[in-house]
Amino acid sequence: MHWFNLLKANVRKEYIELKRYLPNTLAMLFTFYFVFLGMFLGIQVIGDPSSQDVNTQYAIVNYIFWFLAFTVINNIGWEVINEGMRGTLEQLSMSPMGIWKIMTTRLFATTVLNFIIVIILLFLSMITTGQWLNIDVLTILPILLLTLVSMFGIGLFIAGISIILKQVQAFLQILQFILMGLTFVPLSVAPFLAYFPFVKGVDLVRNVMINGVTLNEISMGDFVILGINAIVYFAVGLAIFLYCEKVAMRKGLLAHY
Amino acid sequence: MEPIIKVEKLKKSYKKRKSKEIVKAVDDISFTVNKGEILGLLGPNGAGKTTTIKSICGLLKPDSGVITVNGINNQNKRLQALKHISAVLEGNRNLYWRLSVRENLEYFAGNRGQSRKDVAGKIDDLLVKFNLKEKENELVNRLSRGMQQKLAIAVAMLAESEVILLDEPTLGLDVETGYEVREMLREIVRDYNRTIIISSHDMDVIQDLCDRTVIINHGNIVTDDKVENLLRLFEVRAYSITLGGLLSEQQHQLLLQKFPQLEYTPDTVQSILEVDLTKSEEIYDLFDVLKLEHTPVEAIDRKTVNFEEIFMRIVKGEKQHALV
Repeated sequence: MHWFNLLKANVRKEYIELKRYLPNTLAMLFTFYFVFLGMFLGIQVIGDPSSQDVNTQYAIVNYIFWFLAFTVINNIGWEVINEGMRGTLEQLSMSPMGIWKIMTTRLFATTVLNFIIVIILLFLSMITTGQWLNIDVLTILPILLLTLVSMFGIGLFIAGISIILKQVQAFLQILQFILMGLTFVPLSVAPFLAYFPFVKGVDLVRNVMINGVTLNEISMGDFVILGINAIVYFAVGLAIFLYCEKVAMRKGLLAHY
Repeated sequence: MEPIIKVEKLKKSYKKRKSKEIVKAVDDISFTVNKGEILGLLGPNGAGKTTTIKSICGLLKPDSGVITVNGINNQNKRLQALKHISAVLEGNRNLYWRLSVRENLEYFAGNRGQSRKDVAGKIDDLLVKFNLKEKENELVNRLSRGMQQKLAIAVAMLAESEVILLDEPTLGLDVETGYEVREMLREIVRDYNRTIIISSHDMDVIQDLCDRTVIINHGNIVTDDKVENLLRLFEVRAYSITLGGLLSEQQHQLLLQKFPQLEYTPDTVQSILEVDLTKSEEIYDLFDVLKLEHTPVEAIDRKTVNFEEIFMRIVKGEKQHALV
């Protein structure tokens, strides 16, 4: 029950802030939409006409996933930096629930809320391009959930290093391009990326949305890789976060002010 | 009385970032805080107060030493110990400025695993108690500094922990707001049975609210005693003597040899001698010197010393006060 109350409190906080700063939220949505438009028009002008439809579909899925990864992973880093500077990070660290649980529920809360934006962005993209993707919720959902678990792991890793490194902002700027690489490069081009966080999941979702692959057609092996990927990256992310928390407590870094 | 907090042989050092020099923030300090006690933690800047407070809160890992909160070791069982502690460490900075007063209270309660429904009544009570009811839906960034400070304290109160730590609760507040916050703290002391540790530069806060004070300087405890004892100790031995004329140079030198802290304000009509005696009998030595030139004594008054003066004297090492 404590977990549930913690989750509710963080979803509510994120929702209130998103709603209270609706113009910012809308500005973010439109910025991402216009960047997508630029990408779409680029494909139209310089892309190969024979593969234009598939390229556009790839662009939509990749872009949506990049947005999701970017908002989930990068946001938590910025939140930790801001909270450290504000002084609230110390308050959160004094919760008997443990700060890692608070951060995990924050990640969940931002994911849930950003998912609404993702869906809006997805439909806006599909309407604009006239390319309708296969949205098979039953197939996509289990893949997406496992993919998100590994994203949360990376989010915890980023949150951890954001606590102990005061100049992490520059890394967060670079991180968005690393995430772009991970979400845009298909596994067929670089198969080793399957062992990287969430790449396998993005590839599977791409297959579902573009090639119409169903749940039955996805092999157990793919799910095993996805599952191991999720568990390993979450566990590693959590271990790094807990280690960073200990370092911060030893060096007195929980406040950045 | 049973101690709720035990700090034993606490040591904490930091490495300076550029010079890599090791700085001892707290060096082997020990003290206890009893249940229901209001303890003042005093010391000049860099004395080690905040390090001590943060170590008790479990926000800093000591190099060595043990801190127990309600019998729970706050390093080995940190989360369990945190159930018994809440703190206001940076006053209004401990709040979410984009959330309203009520939303802040609800959010922090949620972070301790409490549901909004469970704490609704308590929040209403606190809002009334802290005169924040009318502002409950106001965003924190629109509140005055004093109100933000009150809200930060209300958040700490909502946790219903036995121990509350307040680091500089009146820092940066104007005189009026500082007074208001002090009044509120006095109410908390009176109406809620909590153990409170206050770290402050504001001597009035310590003198008004605290039962006992621990004075830290250069990472060491220099005094641990009741506020009233400290006041009495210094009050008893501080004298102001009005003389009906001037002291001779010889008398002045003799007095300075005997009482190095002596303050002499010469005046042909009425000179003033201010002196702190380490023993009551020393007054006779002083009279012996005055008698040499038959200097007339017009009045002898016991000097009233305020707590700030006592603090300054202890920190400067003028008085080595025995640790309790």
